[in-house]
Amino acid sequence: MAEKLLEIKNLKQYFNIGKTNEVRAVDDISFDIYKGETLGLVGESGCGKSTTGRSIIRLYDATDGDVFYEGENVHGKKSKQDLKKFNRKMQMIFQDPYASLNQRMKVMDIIAEGIDIHGLAKNQAERKKMVYDLLETVGLNKEHANRYPHEFSGGQRQRLGIARALAVDPDFIIADEPISALDVSIQAQVVNLLKELQVEKGLTFLFIAHDLSMVKYISDRIGVMYFGKLVELAPAEELYNNPLHPYTQSLLSAIPLPDPNYERNRVRKSYDPAVHDYNKADDVRMREISPGHFVQCSEREFESIKAASVSN
Amino acid sequence: MEKILQVKDLELSFNTQGGEVKAIRGVNFDLYKGETLAIVGESGSGKSVTTKSIMRLLPESSAEFKSGEILFGGRDLTKLSDREMQKIRGKEISMIFQDPMTSLNPTMPIGRQLTEPLLKHQKISNSEAKKVAIDLLRLVGMPKPELRMKQYPHQFSGGQRQRIVIAISLACNPKVLIADEPTTALDVTIQAQILELMKDLQKKIDTSIIFITHDLGVVANVADRVAVMYGGKIVEIGTVDEIFYNPQHPYTWGLLSSMPSLDTEDAKLYAIPGTPPDLLDPPKGDAFALRSEYALKIDMEQNPPFFKVSDTHSAATWLLHPDAPQVEPPLTVIERMKKFPGSRYYEGGAV
Repeated sequence: MAEKLLEIKNLKQYFNIGKTNEVRAVDDISFDIYKGETLGLVGESGCGKSTTGRSIIRLYDATDGDVFYEGENVHGKKSKQDLKKFNRKMQMIFQDPYASLNQRMKVMDIIAEGIDIHGLAKNQAERKKMVYDLLETVGLNKEHANRYPHEFSGGQRQRLGIARALAVDPDFIIADEPISALDVSIQAQVVNLLKELQVEKGLTFLFIAHDLSMVKYISDRIGVMYFGKLVELAPAEELYNNPLHPYTQSLLSAIPLPDPNYERNRVRKSYDPAVHDYNKADDVRMREISPGHFVQCSEREFESIKAASVSN
Repeated sequence: MEKILQVKDLELSFNTQGGEVKAIRGVNFDLYKGETLAIVGESGSGKSVTTKSIMRLLPESSAEFKSGEILFGGRDLTKLSDREMQKIRGKEISMIFQDPMTSLNPTMPIGRQLTEPLLKHQKISNSEAKKVAIDLLRLVGMPKPELRMKQYPHQFSGGQRQRIVIAISLACNPKVLIADEPTTALDVTIQAQILELMKDLQKKIDTSIIFITHDLGVVANVADRVAVMYGGKIVEIGTVDEIFYNPQHPYTWGLLSSMPSLDTEDAKLYAIPGTPPDLLDPPKGDAFALRSEYALKIDMEQNPPFFKVSDTHSAATWLLHPDAPQVEPPLTVIERMKKFPGSRYYEGGAV
């Protein structure tokens, strides 16, 4: 197995703790991210997938649990310097390319902000050159550096967001629904760009999205979240061909595909959490069914899934 | 089949400070009784403007009908007075919008929003309207409708709100229902429920639906026929099978191959290069030519007319001209064509 880049252990993110409206947005989830892979995270809105990404990168202070980056704990108390070092390695691309770029800054300064903070350029000329190179990397050109964000289309803005993330030469990028706000024809452009960059720079991605066909296309492994919990985690191909958790099955059966014949014969499954019929004594946790394929289940369910997969 | 609505040579412009934006540049289509016509295209292609012009919801200060007509029940909707239009809107033609939060009034209980069109368009008493409203809520699958009548929109989930919007739009048994991206703001599981509900209701009340979306999966699910729009024009129109299994326009090819299907291999996704045309100054020839690798010389100069592929299928591309060179569509499109009897790649077997 490849080297672990990130280990997320029992991560919890609660809001309004102790009040009546306490929300357990992320409720005790654990997973690893390997070097050079793309891990997709899917689920319905409100399932905690974005919160997971934001907690990992410390946009929120996690309620409990640990995140290890190359074996080093990134949560908990840190000196400013340590944080800076860590921030350089981990970057984020946001969903809304309109809201995530400062309207009053020129592209040059937006992209160079990270370079300035980390002192990566020795002088103005080098700073300029770095920005020009980044613009070229994401398929824009240097003339764009002197413009403001409003002069760009949605797809171009998302490219700026990517250039900004790349400016500090990170190893790991969290992409939170980076294509949801874009048109179909532009989505493909951005996804192709992300894939190219991954090969070129050896990046690792956490790709958060609700468009399952795009997630399958870009991801090596996929995690499915439901109400703050990770319910299934498997290699992309395996998850689609052999979904084991009833929620994953229901989610997959709901995706409309651009194929009228398939649509005419589609049978949709709905998910009712009551099917599990867990009682208090049940030890419900992630269990490995086949190598790399984890499902949240009780001991009883584990046995029956095992039995079913043997008989197949 | 009976034609419910006919749009003929419709041209519409917006007068803006920057000049005249030619948002719709000659759109023709018919809507038949009981069918679902899907209009697909990217933002700015004119799909929403087309339907808003049918409903006459565009600001009269800036939107201007240049030519053409919209025939409904023997009348041209572009020529009706506001008063006459009010009698049609919400009664004979109604609309479902994308965002169920902004299309409901947050300060009014949903019961009153449901009875509003009934009291406006039908001569019935308050208590009768209430009964009809409760039936409507039941029809769209809302549990405990009597209790929920008194509640406000914020007390419902997104999917429930969209059900309420659908109930309101169906209150007067409209002949035409226009659904503008009704499921785009919803999660896939909720989207599937709403689509099933709409298909179900359509069978029950035999209404015609114009369904606007950019999600080709949704189109494959709901549509009987599909119109593909680009740069203010329809570039291809046909039955759902013809568009998905025997597409002819390079833009349709691009759309179909830029979406990964669940069995797309690791190959690179096809991305349509460039951006949509600027309709302030629309290109002279085929608006898609600048982004198309299949563009011919004539595409830059002359706008292609519609070429007939079958009785139900036509496309506006010079590639269908008898003198045009034969080109190979993208691989993913050829894969689709293999399933379609009548296409030149057909490999046998039923569709």
